[in-house]
Amino acid sequence: MNHEAKKIANTMYGRVNAPTVERCRVNFCTDLEKSVLMSNFERRGWNQVGPDEEWNFYWASTQTCRNLFSVESGYRMNDNQMINHFPNHYELSRKDLLVKNIKRYRKELEREGNPLAEKTEVILHGGQVVTRYAHLDFIPVTFVLPADYNMFVEEYRKSPQSTWIMKPCGKSQGTGIFLINKLSKLKKWSREAKTPFHPQLSKESYVISRYIDNPLLIGGKKFDLRLYVLVTSFRPLKAYLFQLGFCRFCTVKYDTSMTELDNMYVHLTNVSVQKHGGDYNSIHGGKMTVQNLRLYLEGTRGRAVTEKLFAAMQWLIVHSLKAVSSVMANDRHCFECYGYDIIIDNQLKPWLVEVNASPSLTSTTVNDRILKYKLIDNILSVVLPSDGVPDVRWNKLPTADALGNFDLLIDEELLEKDEATNNPGRSNKNKTR
Amino acid sequence: MESIKEEAIHQTALKLAEEIKNLSIYKSFYNDVQKLVASPNVKKEDFKQTLQQAMKEKGLDTKLRNTVFHWVRTQSKQNKLDPLTSLSKASAQWEKRIHKSLNSMCSDLETSLAKLRPQSEQDDLSEKWHELSTYNLDLTKYRPVYAPKDFLEVLLTLSGYVPFTREDEPKWEFAHLPLQVKTLDQLRNVYVEWSNGEALLGVNAYMPSTVPGFSTLEAERISLGERVAVLGYAPVIQEYLKKGSPQCLRARLWMQVLGSEIKSQQTSYFNQLKKSVLEVDLMIDKLIFKDVQLTASNDDQYFVFEDLLYQVMLCFSRDCEIMQHLKGSIGNPLNVTIKGKQTSAESVTVFPPSGIIPFHGFTMYATPFCYLYDDPVQLYYTFRAFYIRYWHRLHYISTHPQGIVSLCLLYERLLEANEPLLWIHFRNININPVRVVFKWLMRAFSGHLPPDQLLLLWDAILGYDCLEILPLLALAILSFRKENIFQVNTLQNVDAILADLSTISVIPLLQLALMKP
Ligand SMILES: Nc1ncnc2c1ncn2[C@@H]1O[C@H](COP(=O)(O)OP(=O)(O)O)[C@@H](O)[C@H]1O
Ligand SMILES: [Mg+2]
Repeated sequence: MNHEAKKIANTMYGRVNAPTVERCRVNFCTDLEKSVLMSNFERRGWNQVGPDEEWNFYWASTQTCRNLFSVESGYRMNDNQMINHFPNHYELSRKDLLVKNIKRYRKELEREGNPLAEKTEVILHGGQVVTRYAHLDFIPVTFVLPADYNMFVEEYRKSPQSTWIMKPCGKSQGTGIFLINKLSKLKKWSREAKTPFHPQLSKESYVISRYIDNPLLIGGKKFDLRLYVLVTSFRPLKAYLFQLGFCRFCTVKYDTSMTELDNMYVHLTNVSVQKHGGDYNSIHGGKMTVQNLRLYLEGTRGRAVTEKLFAAMQWLIVHSLKAVSSVMANDRHCFECYGYDIIIDNQLKPWLVEVNASPSLTSTTVNDRILKYKLIDNILSVVLPSDGVPDVRWNKLPTADALGNFDLLIDEELLEKDEATNNPGRSNKNKTR
Repeated sequence: MESIKEEAIHQTALKLAEEIKNLSIYKSFYNDVQKLVASPNVKKEDFKQTLQQAMKEKGLDTKLRNTVFHWVRTQSKQNKLDPLTSLSKASAQWEKRIHKSLNSMCSDLETSLAKLRPQSEQDDLSEKWHELSTYNLDLTKYRPVYAPKDFLEVLLTLSGYVPFTREDEPKWEFAHLPLQVKTLDQLRNVYVEWSNGEALLGVNAYMPSTVPGFSTLEAERISLGERVAVLGYAPVIQEYLKKGSPQCLRARLWMQVLGSEIKSQQTSYFNQLKKSVLEVDLMIDKLIFKDVQLTASNDDQYFVFEDLLYQVMLCFSRDCEIMQHLKGSIGNPLNVTIKGKQTSAESVTVFPPSGIIPFHGFTMYATPFCYLYDDPVQLYYTFRAFYIRYWHRLHYISTHPQGIVSLCLLYERLLEANEPLLWIHFRNININPVRVVFKWLMRAFSGHLPPDQLLLLWDAILGYDCLEILPLLALAILSFRKENIFQVNTLQNVDAILADLSTISVIPLLQLALMKP
C-alpha cells in the first residue's frame, strides 16, 4: 500500500485502526504526584488514568502494591502491566527482616561449606578478639528486641564500653531512633515501654545495632551514602547500580562524647532530621555527589583503597540481594528501585545500614531534582522493552544505551550463559553422563 | 668561542652558589651535606666523585637540582618595572580606589583596619579554630571590596590610558593595547603534544594503551607517574603533567613540581601565621569569612571543606613571604597601626601582611585543593605556591604576557580570528565578548567547572607553565555553544547559555580546538 492509499484507508477505517494506535500509548497510574515522576511520564507522552482503569504502568506506594497482590483483591495483571514494587519487598526493607535474611543466608552458605562463609578473627576497638565472617561481615551486629534480648545482653557484656543504636523496625526518616551506652538505659526504656501509658510502644519491635562510632569524617562531619539499586528480577538476579548517588552530611561536627549522645544532628544523617537544624543550608542541602567523594578519596587516600571501597560496596549490595532472592516473590510484573543507606568507617570499610523500598523522590535542591529526574528516566528505560511499552514477556536484557547512568551489578542469566560458552566441554560432559 | 661559553657558565655557577646561600633551604641542606662528608661513603682520596655519588643516593642531588630549577624560574620571569607606564598608572589608581573603599568601610562600620584581639576573643577563636563555621560574627554589613565585574570595568577603561586609540573603533576592545599575544597557530606550537593529537588523560581513561603491558591509558599513566614521582625531579614532573595526572598521584606531583613539600620548618611557620591571626584582628578577616561564606559554604562541591578554608585563607592574609615573593607585581600595600599595641616599632603592620586584598570569590583560588589535601598545612603551601606563580596575575593590572590584560586580549584575538561570525554577532548585539567569560578567566574557572575537570585543566597550567589555556578554553566553550548564542541577543540570555558548565569535558574540547583542522 502506498502512502496515499494508507492515509485514505486510515481515515476510512479509522475506528478499526484505532486500537493499534491506542496500544502504543502507555496508560500510567500513580499514587505519588511527585514532579520528577510526572515530568518523566509526560515527556514520554503517557496518559494518566485512575487505579480502577486500565493501566499499563503503576508507580504505587508499597501499601497499594501489597493490596493488589493480596489474595482478597483478586486482581490479576496482564502481560502489559508493570508495577514498581515486589509484593514482599519488606524482606529487604524492614530492618528486622533484612538482618534475619542475611543471618540465614550466611548460615546456609556455611552449612554448604561455601568458601564465602569463611570466618576469621577480628580485634575490636576494646581489644577483644571476636569471630566474624571474613567476606560477609557487612552489617553491624544487630539483634531484634524484645525477641533477642538475652543474646543482646551476652554480646553487650563482651564490650560494655560500646554504644548501640535503637531503631524501630517499621519507621523511617530517623524517627524513634536513639543511642544507648548503658544497659540500664535500655532497661529503663523497656520498663517505660511496657507501662500502660505507652501502649503503642509495647507493640513495636526494635532492632538494636552496634553503633558505628568510627565513621569516616570529611571536614569533621559524619555522612552516609544514598545509593540507588534497581532490581528487575530476583530469580535469576538482575540488578543495576545508579552511578549518581550522594553523601548526606550532618550539619554539625561529629562528637562521640556522652553529652552529645542525644544530639541527633550529630549522629543521624537523614535529611529529614538535618533539615530542622539551624545550620541546614538549602542551597546544597548537605549533599555531595558520590563522584566527588571518589575524587576526594582518590586524591587524599590513593587509588587502591578507593577502588577497594567501591568494590566492597558493590559486593555488599549484591550479597544483600542474594540473601533475599530465595524468599522474594519474583513476580514478572515487578521491578523495584531501592535506596541503600551505607556508612563508611574510618578504615574505609562500608557498612549496610538499611534498605528503603520507597526512597524519597522529593527534591531538596536543584541538583537533587536533576539527579532524581535522571534516576526515574533511567529506571523507565531499563525496565521497559525498547518500544517503551510494558511487556512482561521481554527478555530483560537492556542495551548499553538503555542503561543510561546505571551500571550492571549482576545478571545471573548472563553469567550462566557466559559460563556455558566458556566451558562448553564441561556442560557436554555433564550431559553425556 | 668555547672558552667564552665556559666562562659564562662559570660566572652563572658562581652567582648561583651565592644566591643559594640566601635561600631558606640552604642551612638544612648544608648540614645534610656536612653529615654526608663525615660518613664513610665519602672518601678523601676521591672526594668529588664519592661525594657526588653519596648525594645522589641520599636524594640530595635531586633536591639541589630542583632548587636550581625553581630559582632559575623565578629569575627569568621577574619583571622589575612594568614597561607600559600608562598601565602602571591605571594600576596605581585602581589600588588607591581599593584602599579608599577599605578605609571608608572601616569608618562606616566604626571599626579599625587593625587592632589587638582581646584575650577572651583570642581564646574563643583559638578554641574554634577547627570549626570556624561556628565562630559567631555579624557580617551583615560587610561587603566584598570588589567583584570580578568591577575589575572588568577598570580593565575596559585601560585603552583610555593609551594615547593611540582610533576613533572609528569601539572603545572597549583590548586590541588598542600595544601588547603581543599568540595566535592559535602559535598556541599549537606551545601545546604541541595536544595539537599532535597525543593521548591525554581526561579524554577517555579506558582508552587502550599504546604501550605494551598496559591495558588502558590510565594504567599506563599511573605506572609512569609513580616512577616520575619517585624520581622527584621537578622538570620531569612538569613534563609529565602536560598529558594530565591521575587523581591518585596529583597531590604529590603538584607538591613536587611547585617545591611546596612540607617539612617541620613549614609547619612551624604555618603555626606562626595562625598565632598572628589569633593576636591581631584585621578588618580583612571579616571579608575572608564573608567570602568563604558567599562562595564555598553555599557550593555543593565545597561546603564540606568550609572549616579548612577559613584556616587557610586567614593564614594566607598574614603571610608576609607572599608579599616578598611578589614585590613589584602587586603594588604598594597600606601601612597601618595596630590599635592597642604598646611598642611603636611593632605597632605598625602592612595591611594585610600578605599585601593581597581579596575580592569576591577569592577563596575559589584555594577550594579545588581540598580534593587533594586534607591537612591544612599541605593545602596551604600548594595553594600559596599556585598563587605566587599564577593566580595573582589574574587580579592585578600588568602587561605581563600571563597577566589578565594579555589574557583578555588573547581571548579577543582568538575569537575574532577563529569564530568571526560569533565575533560579528557580539558586535551586532553590542555585547563586549569578554564580558561573558571574564569571571571564568579571573577565577581560572574555579567554581565554574566541576572539580575533576578543573584539576585536569590546572594540570595543564602546571605542565606548560602558562595561563594561555584559560582564554583558549573560554573560546572553545563559546564555539561549542555558538548555535545557541546566535539565537539570543541580550547579555542576560548569553549568560544563561553559559551558566552551566557541569557537562563540559575540558580536555577533549581543548584538544579539538588545538588540533589542526
Ligand atoms: N549502626 C549505625 N551506626 C552509626 N550510625 C547509624 C547506624 N544505624 C543508623 N545510623 C544513622 O542513623 C540514620 C538513620 O538510620 P536508618 O537505619 O537509615 O533508619 P531510618 O529508616 O529512620 O532512616 C542513618 O542514616 C545513619 O546516619
Ligand atoms: Mg535511612
